[in-house]
Amino acid sequence: MTGVGSAVRRLYLSVYNWAVFFGWAQVLYYAVTTLLESGHEAVYAAVERPLQFAQTAAFLEILHGLVGLVRSPVSATLPQIGSRLFLTWGILWSFPETHSHILVTSLVISWSITEIIRYSFFGMKETFGFAPSWLLWLRYSTFMVLYPTGISSEVGLIYIALPYMKATEKYCLRMPNKWNFSFDFSYASILSLAVYVPGSPHMFTYMLAQRKKALAKAKAA
Amino acid sequence: MKVSVVSRSGREVVRGGVELKDSAKVADLQDAIYAKTKKYYPARQRLTLPIQPGKSGKPVVLSAKASLSEYCEKGSGSLTVVFKDLGPQVFYSTLFFFEYLGPLLIYPMFYYLPVYKYFGYEGERVMHPVQTYAMYYWCFHYFKRIMETFFVHRFSHATSPVSNVFRNCAYYWTFGAYIAYYCNHPLYTPVSELQMKIGFGFGILCQIANFYCHILLRNLRSPSGNGGYQIPRGFLFNIVTCANYTTEIYQWLGFNIATQTVAGYIFLVVAASIMTNWALGKHRRLKKLFDGKEGRPKYPRRWVILPPFL
Repeated sequence: MTGVGSAVRRLYLSVYNWAVFFGWAQVLYYAVTTLLESGHEAVYAAVERPLQFAQTAAFLEILHGLVGLVRSPVSATLPQIGSRLFLTWGILWSFPETHSHILVTSLVISWSITEIIRYSFFGMKETFGFAPSWLLWLRYSTFMVLYPTGISSEVGLIYIALPYMKATEKYCLRMPNKWNFSFDFSYASILSLAVYVPGSPHMFTYMLAQRKKALAKAKAA
Repeated sequence: MKVSVVSRSGREVVRGGVELKDSAKVADLQDAIYAKTKKYYPARQRLTLPIQPGKSGKPVVLSAKASLSEYCEKGSGSLTVVFKDLGPQVFYSTLFFFEYLGPLLIYPMFYYLPVYKYFGYEGERVMHPVQTYAMYYWCFHYFKRIMETFFVHRFSHATSPVSNVFRNCAYYWTFGAYIAYYCNHPLYTPVSELQMKIGFGFGILCQIANFYCHILLRNLRSPSGNGGYQIPRGFLFNIVTCANYTTEIYQWLGFNIATQTVAGYIFLVVAASIMTNWALGKHRRLKKLFDGKEGRPKYPRRWVILPPFL
């Protein structure tokens, strides 16, 4: 009985990982080809749908961690996926004025390369039971370049969107109302920028620790 | 007897060790360590026995009141202890005082001072009666907590790490300001007078019940601080393990019914989940300790914190 459950789990995770891999591969392909053909202004329009699919599908990873399907701690996946969903829907989808900015290109390329490596790594492990050493090395090395470029793009795009948030008052709730509550999206976004200050070094050092652990284990094997 | 004091990495904390009488207590050892290091006062010290090679499990923590000989091998005239620095410590009363002083001062600032000018609200602000009563209720609550800190509570641990001061104050002061902002807002919408009376009436009742719960808890602990866990009895404790938390949650519920702010309900949910974790831990410990075996009393069936849910 436990064997069947385990097989179903592996099958599900294999399908999930390769499906999302395919989504991110599309994102990278469309981003690069559009960049070469039409320039960075057109990149967002080209990648919008696959980006939204791939990034939103990542939400399932939080659930995987919560139900114990995988061993990733929710405290690590939640902030990263949360910030990306915020960027994908809260900034890019909500404020079209950001679409033509070059930071969209750097964001999308950073994210997609990172995720292609990560999901193929997971996909290999679930499907074949192992991953090649070069993929392991990429998995635990590329973040050193891609985290800085990705995070800079995220912060930059939030900053660029701030004046449009204020102008449109999108996602704002004003008093008076019966529940005596108000919400201002631009203030919330400024707060999220503040969270990046301690959050980014924390994620980076977390990944450095993971790298040391993983590569040491591989060397021992 | 000779006592070696080493850090967890094996480094010698007190060079040459400490020489003590065979009848010495752990507290004497702690005083001796402080005398030699000039830095690690007893409250900062966590002393444990070394973990035997090949064995696992949690190390044995030395109790300050116990005799050192209790931890020695039979007939051995020496002992090794592992030292850990807990960092600068503050008394719990100090910690609690500053936790509660913040909300007590911050909330009235939003009520009395023209702070909303800086949020873009010019002109005169008309206060509703419920806002005045909410301010009285809030200040009474935190004043009560400060008084209980100094005159009611007895603490099992004498001190707390300094880092907890910043964390706890951030929690209380931020929520205090957040709730105060909405409760005293120029565009505040009051609830009906009946709802206000129900909320504040229920809340005051629960605050008084909470105070009585704290009296009962205080009497569980002797002034000298001796004695471990005991089964709380009397009043609501006969029904709920952590009746003090129950009444605390319900008094905030009363406040929220009367004031009706989202910020207040968010605070209620956060506070309730924190206290629920504490309550579950305590309930588990009491049930484990009082299992009805070997002459020990059996822990009665009780709710944990929030009947009829938990």
